[in-house]
Amino acid sequence: MKRIEALEVLAELTAQHPVVVTCAATSRELASVKDSDNHLYLLDSMGLVGSVMTGLALGRDASLPKVVGLEGDGSLLMNPNVLPTGGYLKPEMLMVLLDNEVYGSTAGLPTYSSEVNVEELAAAAGWATGRAPDQQSLRSEYARLLQVTGRPGFLHVPIEAGNAAEIPKLLIDPVRITHRFSRWLASADKPSGSRETVAE
Amino acid sequence: MVTRPLEFFGESGKERLQVSISYAASVAEAFWASDVARVVYIPSVTVAPVIEELVRRDGGADGVSPRVTPLSREEEAVGVAGAAALCGKLGGIVMQDNGFGNALTALTTWTLSYHLPLLIFANTRGSLGEYNSMIHSISTAVPRLLEATGIHYLELDRRSGPEDWGAVVREAANHAQMTFRPVVVLGSFWNTDGRLA
Ligand SMILES: [Mg+2]
Repeated sequence: MKRIEALEVLAELTAQHPVVVTCAATSRELASVKDSDNHLYLLDSMGLVGSVMTGLALGRDASLPKVVGLEGDGSLLMNPNVLPTGGYLKPEMLMVLLDNEVYGSTAGLPTYSSEVNVEELAAAAGWATGRAPDQQSLRSEYARLLQVTGRPGFLHVPIEAGNAAEIPKLLIDPVRITHRFSRWLASADKPSGSRETVAE
Repeated sequence: MVTRPLEFFGESGKERLQVSISYAASVAEAFWASDVARVVYIPSVTVAPVIEELVRRDGGADGVSPRVTPLSREEEAVGVAGAAALCGKLGGIVMQDNGFGNALTALTTWTLSYHLPLLIFANTRGSLGEYNSMIHSISTAVPRLLEATGIHYLELDRRSGPEDWGAVVREAANHAQMTFRPVVVLGSFWNTDGRLA
């Protein structure tokens, strides 16, 4: 499965959820599939997806759908602290790890994940884990882990290395992302008919 | 409120003052008075009394309460506490200043760039009263690191009393929300009633 094929499924599955997205190719490819106010793109800040998810999960209104994170192997391994922190604080959230065993936005240099089983790392830290190597299992495992309560979920999604061609860079002032995402968050617990339009 | 006599050294020499609250308690009281939604911390001996007061006032014990929890590293704290702003809340961090090296990329690319208010209180290790021969190398440079990256900071030390520390922390929380940016309060506990490492 290519990253963009996984993102096509995930864009649909996460449509009603706050979604924190790791930087560069993953954010760009997701935005090219579907750009939406519920997407919080981290334009830099490698390694921070799990931490930002944790903060959102702890701070969100309880009626909001579960926080989902789309993280990469290189980014997670830059701040693997998020795994024990998740096991300790037990925020209800779901991290989807798109694992291509390389720093996909950094010249394809190798990460540890070809040698280190990141799903086992998450499980050892207390996360509920699953693995989805294709679009069908991505749907079923995502649905299963979304139902987990009392601890965070971790979905390991092996993908092919390489980035989709001709995807434009996300040249957005981050404050616009803050603005549209926080407005979406504030209105997300209301029935969909009463939501403000926040498209920019 | 803790009421006990407190000895500290003013600019003009040794003075004996009667104050109503310790420095650490005043900082903790200011955090909660500022409606900080959650405080995450990375421990240090010197800042531990602030954490203990935050926890005690929040009905907890042993370093944990409903709104106060430890984290493993400063950049994580910036990620977690900064995200509170997206939910319309103010997050707080209590840490030691030698962690700003760890925190700086997250502070700049996340909270500063995304315009997220955040209140940070950090004890200082780079100057008077410091025994550790290595920690100066990072801590002494912290004000200039913050200045170079455009992160607003305020400095407190023995020259003002606990009430002033509390007032500065409260106004720093307000300033963070007015400016939509992180604000750092650096507290030197040397020659206060505080504990040095
Ligand atoms: Mg990768």
